Amino acid sequence: MKNKLFIFVAMLFSAVLLLAACGTSTSEKETNTNTGSSGETSEKETFTIGLEAGYAPFNWTQLDDSNGGIKIDGNAEYAGGYDVEIAKKVAAGLGKELVVVKIEWDGLVPSLQSDKIDAIMAGMSPTKERKESIDFTENYYTSNFIMVVKKGGPFEGATSIQDFKGAKITGQLNTSHYGVIDQIEGVKKQPASDNFSAMRVALESGVLDGYVSERPEGISASAANENFAMVEFTDGFVASEEETAVAVGLKKDSELKDKINEILAGISEEERQEIMDTAIKNQPAAE
Amino acid sequence: MSFEWIMSMIINNWPMFLRGAGMTLLISIIGTIFGAAIGLLAGIIRTIPVSERRIKRVFLKIVNIILSVYIEFFRGTPMIVQAMVIYFGSAMAFGIDMDRTFAAIFIVSINTGAYMAEIVRGGVISIEKGQFEAAQAVGMNHVQTMFHVVLPQVIRNILPATGNQFIINIKDTSVLNVIGVTELYFQTKTVAGISFKYFEPFFVACILYFVMTFTVTLILRYFERKLDGPENYSMIGQPAQVTTIATKGH
Repeated sequence: MKNKLFIFVAMLFSAVLLLAACGTSTSEKETNTNTGSSGETSEKETFTIGLEAGYAPFNWTQLDDSNGGIKIDGNAEYAGGYDVEIAKKVAAGLGKELVVVKIEWDGLVPSLQSDKIDAIMAGMSPTKERKESIDFTENYYTSNFIMVVKKGGPFEGATSIQDFKGAKITGQLNTSHYGVIDQIEGVKKQPASDNFSAMRVALESGVLDGYVSERPEGISASAANENFAMVEFTDGFVASEEETAVAVGLKKDSELKDKINEILAGISEEERQEIMDTAIKNQPAAE
Repeated sequence: MSFEWIMSMIINNWPMFLRGAGMTLLISIIGTIFGAAIGLLAGIIRTIPVSERRIKRVFLKIVNIILSVYIEFFRGTPMIVQAMVIYFGSAMAFGIDMDRTFAAIFIVSINTGAYMAEIVRGGVISIEKGQFEAAQAVGMNHVQTMFHVVLPQVIRNILPATGNQFIINIKDTSVLNVIGVTELYFQTKTVAGISFKYFEPFFVACILYFVMTFTVTLILRYFERKLDGPENYSMIGQPAQVTTIATKGH
């Protein structure tokens, strides 16, 4: 009887280890690169970026390396998207190997500050608040604010942000999206949400009337889910460029800054739009 | 929520869900085992009776204070905060670069250890004082009393609470994505983020979490029944089993 029990437990263990092995197969490689880098940060061979891999079309997770996907470190999946495409160019320009680490939004800045990653390329805007704790390069994408609403709902035909009077609106926590909501008079500003998933669920279920987002995310959301529509404004939000732009986040006084700026300057506006259009077309949900 | 969409999503993304679930199980199983070991040790130390020798007494007092600080601190702060402080803090303050999975297991282990220490202490206190006295009367020291008399009973008694802790761990690993561990919740969020569908992936995650926790419950019930032995003792024709029960020392 006891033997049976042991065999059972042993089998359970091996099953778990097998499952986890798929997930941790690359962690050895990661430790190697990390130990190599701990001494001299400037001398290492890799350029490690952090992103959520869940903010299409800027970054997403896919199961194979199609459309130029890059393997996520310590994980069996691949990352793709606009951020990844730009990151590849940056890494090539630096002459280093690109490593992508998947981290929750709130974990990105601490990861950068503690040298777990070299840069944040996660569709992050260089806001004043963020600039206090980390540095940013020049922008590598500039978009404008839009509103994602329910298709067929009362707000689908809105042209001005003031049409959203009395509507329940929110935006992502710690983003500029949330701040601009105050520009709508008489809006019922809802508590900020900590991720897009939660806002989309709330919108789909009718808890929200809309959420503020940026154009690429709006296109993706409305293309992927037939219940969503994107509202672009003729009379839109007033926002400074730093709030709609996306830049590479770097550790304060990073020596990478000038080099990356130089590389980014070499990518023309047309090329950027082209990469973005391709990313929107290639994102997994668009299939 | 459409059924076809759930099916197609499972077909397209099952490796992500499975790997996420595997990571969740790995962290919670190893974390609970190490946590239980820490808790058992801490619980035993905390119940050592006050010694008559002064040096031993002072030493014990210091150890107890350290253990109290550990237990109260890790019970009193959220795991997500501990993860942030330990993983990022160790890198920023001491330059220690922990492996993400190792850090996750470490955090779950010490967190569970703090809770388990209290569970074990409760288990030891629940044993009648007469048993300690009887053990002392036959010349056993604290360690002997613990291993031969008290712990066999404590382990049986704390099994349900350990199961609770295990289930809590399976669910609580979902906060560890801030340090980049791709467990089930993070994977589900990713699937939601790329498919722009929400109820469906989370519905699948819900079922996966329940399957994991319920399996743990069933396994622990099985263990409990094993430790309890057969309910009735009419063992005609099975003398071998009778002797094993007799030596188990119930």
